[in-house]
Amino acid sequence: MSNTVATPSHEAFERTTTRWGSITLFIAFLIATSVPFYLLFVADAEVDFGDILTGFLAVFAVYGVFYVVEPLTYFPILGPAGMYQAFLIGNVSNKLLPSAIVAQATIGVKPGTRKGEYAATMAICGAAIIHVASMVLFVGILGTWLVSIIPEQITLIAQLYILPAILGGVAIQLIFSLKQFKSTIIALVIAALVIFGLVKLVPVLAPGDVAIVVILTIVVTWFTRNKAVTDRKASDGDENIGIN
Amino acid sequence: MVIAAGAANDYLSLANAPVLWILALTVMGVVVVQSLIYMNAVKKNAESAGMSQLEVRTAFRAGGVAAIGPSLSVVLVAIALLPLFGTPPVVVRVGLIGSAATEVASASIAAGTMDANLGDDTFTRGVFIVALMAMSLSGAGWMISTLILTPIFKRSSHKLEKVNPALMGIIPGAALLAAFAALTFRELPKSPTHIIAVVTSAIVMSICLLIANKLHAQWLKEWGLGISLLAGLIASYFAHYAGLGMPES
Repeated sequence: MSNTVATPSHEAFERTTTRWGSITLFIAFLIATSVPFYLLFVADAEVDFGDILTGFLAVFAVYGVFYVVEPLTYFPILGPAGMYQAFLIGNVSNKLLPSAIVAQATIGVKPGTRKGEYAATMAICGAAIIHVASMVLFVGILGTWLVSIIPEQITLIAQLYILPAILGGVAIQLIFSLKQFKSTIIALVIAALVIFGLVKLVPVLAPGDVAIVVILTIVVTWFTRNKAVTDRKASDGDENIGIN
Repeated sequence: MVIAAGAANDYLSLANAPVLWILALTVMGVVVVQSLIYMNAVKKNAESAGMSQLEVRTAFRAGGVAAIGPSLSVVLVAIALLPLFGTPPVVVRVGLIGSAATEVASASIAAGTMDANLGDDTFTRGVFIVALMAMSLSGAGWMISTLILTPIFKRSSHKLEKVNPALMGIIPGAALLAAFAALTFRELPKSPTHIIAVVTSAIVMSICLLIANKLHAQWLKEWGLGISLLAGLIASYFAHYAGLGMPES
């Protein structure tokens, strides 16, 4: 093992993605945050610091809990490498995860395996390129023209129903490709109990609803697993078997 | 409900300043650079997971194709915001962490603290800057907490893996099923049209997958999401204008 740098390994993958993932995320944070500061300094708009603080605190009161809850919810799915992609690009549930699910279904690999993780990373890269191309071309360059020719009724429909129209299809593709009957039932039952029951009874938990469902499903799936299948390594290679 | 800027929209020339265009394009460039680095990392190390270069390319293409439908829908939502915020701020805010819906809500909350509303005369230059500042700082909140939390989560997951290696094989699949079950159920009570959107999209996806399996048509697995998204939106269009939609807020 004299030539550890060139040998393909998961450690090398994790090292590269952690280092460059966090560096790129930090640079994007600096650039994005500089936009309003630039405007503040050139605008001559008599905005004082108090107005900004009040405005931000009002937004923070609504979304602050999500800064922690969303990374907690998506880490078990994305792994460390995917976290830096997802929280740079956003659109996690409506674009990046659906792309990862489609790619894993297409090449027939399961989440929770190395191959599944690599497939998801490549899929998110593909989605990121399409995302940037669509933002630059259709919003940046053609946006002002497009908004003048697309009827308002159509824009309104996209605004209101984009998420449910994506989620129905993604849920089905996920269930079909995982083929994990027991885990699917566990997830559906817990989601129904939490979304239609618990959150209605204890509305203060609403911002954490998805995270609660994720944690409960992991716990129940774990304690009801078929140990004979999951708690051993595949004889060739170091792949885990995955959920059952 | 395309949100038009009020008469006091003298800030729009400011919002479309060349400097901001450069910042917006640079930040999109950072996303591309990150993807290139990640792609390279997968290509180099795929062999260690028994993944062929063909599978690496297939995964990339499948992810890209699957993102076309969602990306075009996001474009439709984003361009509706252009008259209000100007092009570069929309590219930065919708193009990075967050979504069009979150950004509009944040802007509206921040404007409210100055007794102003999105899209009318009260939305002045000063309100615009406060709103954009609040949206940006909130987006920064997600990024900073990801930078802080990811290494912590990573250490704990390595510890868990040592306790029982099977754990890390079970968690991602279970978490994925749970997240999408919860996200989907959360849409259902919003309006009858939301139910129609979910059900139509689900049925069309089922049909696509059945055909794809019968005919071994891999392309249909990749395009299935775009097709079912379009079907869901068309069904929503008719349902919404038949009066089953969300009450206007």
